[in-house]
Amino acid sequence: MKRIFLLLVLPALLTGFSGVQAQDAPAITLTLAAYTTPREVYVEVIPLFEEYWLQETGQRVEFQASYLGSGAQSRAVAGGFEADVVALSLERDVTRLVDAGLITHDWQNNPYNGMVSTSLAVLVVRPGNPKDVTDWGDLARDGVEVLTPDPATSGGAQWNVLATVGAAQRGYVDGYSADDEGAYSFLVDWLSHVSVLDPSARDSVITYSRGIGDVLITYENEYFAGIAAGDEYDIVYPTSTILIENPVAVVDTYADAHGVREAAEAFVAFLYSDQAQAVFADKGYRPPVLQAVDEEAETAEPGGGALWEEGALDPDRFPPVEDIFTVAYFGGWDRIGGDFFGDDGIYTRAIAEAQ
Amino acid sequence: MQNAARLEQEAVNAPHPQLDLSGWGLRGTAIVYLLVMIALPVFVVFSSGLQAGLSGFWDNVSHPHAVSALRVTLVTAAIMTVINVVMGTLTAYVLVSYRFPGKNVLDALIDLPFAIPTLVTGIMLVLLYGPQTALAGFLQDRFDVRVLYARPGIVLALLFICYPFVIRAVQPVLVQLDERQPEAAYTLGASGWYTFRRIVFPAIRPAMLSGGMLGFARALGEFGAIVIVAGNIPLRTQTAPVYIYGKVEAGNMPAASAVSVVLLGVALIVTLGVDWVQRGRQHG
Repeated sequence: MKRIFLLLVLPALLTGFSGVQAQDAPAITLTLAAYTTPREVYVEVIPLFEEYWLQETGQRVEFQASYLGSGAQSRAVAGGFEADVVALSLERDVTRLVDAGLITHDWQNNPYNGMVSTSLAVLVVRPGNPKDVTDWGDLARDGVEVLTPDPATSGGAQWNVLATVGAAQRGYVDGYSADDEGAYSFLVDWLSHVSVLDPSARDSVITYSRGIGDVLITYENEYFAGIAAGDEYDIVYPTSTILIENPVAVVDTYADAHGVREAAEAFVAFLYSDQAQAVFADKGYRPPVLQAVDEEAETAEPGGGALWEEGALDPDRFPPVEDIFTVAYFGGWDRIGGDFFGDDGIYTRAIAEAQ
Repeated sequence: MQNAARLEQEAVNAPHPQLDLSGWGLRGTAIVYLLVMIALPVFVVFSSGLQAGLSGFWDNVSHPHAVSALRVTLVTAAIMTVINVVMGTLTAYVLVSYRFPGKNVLDALIDLPFAIPTLVTGIMLVLLYGPQTALAGFLQDRFDVRVLYARPGIVLALLFICYPFVIRAVQPVLVQLDERQPEAAYTLGASGWYTFRRIVFPAIRPAMLSGGMLGFARALGEFGAIVIVAGNIPLRTQTAPVYIYGKVEAGNMPAASAVSVVLLGVALIVTLGVDWVQRGRQHG
């Protein structure tokens, strides 16, 4: 209960501290409610936008940024934390704000479907890969200890479960049939190798860096963050994995109430600019994939985005992966909530059977 | 006669109505404070947990993951309480009965767990018993015991957090204990153990019980340290507070509230028990 109280109070506290020092009275203030992992990105992008906005309009803009777990942040905004812009880890957390009537415009109506950054679910192993882990199938091998965050507490952790199930269903996990049954038994098998379910993706990385576990399932950007922080481990790209997509949106109700809609919309547009995307890429996020007009597309082609086409990205840093599928493959988040993580969901049954 | 007259005089002089008014004001303030700060939030959780009716409540509470989480919490808290009562009483006895260098520092150290964020407690235990440490390697190789990410880790975390409860309950009773009684028993030929069992123990038993029970109630709700050291695997090492947190994160408030109601119910019974034990001490 203590933690829950903190989750509610922290955004209010954080915004009080993270405001940029004012020289004069600021013309306008934008409040950004973001999830925790891209903090390093926004710390660099925000000054770029402030400069850009000053040059474009002559108006000074000041930011108040709050960083909190995506689900908690989404609930805080829905509960009255008046953020003008939200940057969250998954679409469902934005949908909550749409359902609450706070986001009224079609926030996915842009070439990137409202997704400002992407990443991949990958495997992280100890330096030199002592357990010789090459793909998802090795998670179920004897003597391999696996770490993954808890899908119950970390919405983002659900990507990992989806990645393994999707890869198995699509026939990319040896030894398991390429159907629902095969995917389910693979899920049970690798879940029985999990020793710690940390509450968040970042906690999982920290536990792994303390020497616990052989393999960590995490996101490509978390691997880069760990390397940047001085940790030493290797990355293993599975043959087939899920495209992680992180949304960003203007919160209509609050942006209008504060009279900052124009700047808020400009900030969101700025995040897709090459200038901002270069920062995302530097911190380990793959620039968003230019969505096919067909919204039913269930797979993604890396290299489809504008930055990819211009050859601005180092292919050694973001190597191509054979098969990348999206949440659309599972029917979207509405379906996933019940099918996977509901009381009778695939994950809920598998974690019980794995014990 | 003189005394009675003076009392009467004082009674007449005493500003009765005002005193009563301020008395009622104080009482009202205290009661409203209690209602707003404690009773109201508890009531909200109860009503939210029972929102879906008794059958919905039962479905949420009897879910295998919920049952297991509650069992892990109750069992680890109970084990901790037994250790805490025995070792806490021993520590209090040593602190009161013996002199040794550094005793004051030790006495001050006892309250430290109250001041340390429990998250930090978890981190300390990971640093101490983490798989790369010599201690963990020794325990694993020699006794095949895994401390972290298993139930022993949970009990250790709870022991740290609830360390002061029994000591601080027993210590003042021991200090107040009439020294002549044990001395008399001793000079009459009773052994040290017999003296303790027949003279000291009956006097401190209520304090041991109430200290242990308060620690138990405190342990039921522990989250910060456990989420770090337990591993949080459903049906194995997931405790009730971590389960509740998961349900809150998943937006499933009825399930979160239902399990909270069970925890609150147990805590309520235990604290009522503490009250009963303490009353018994006053009268007995």
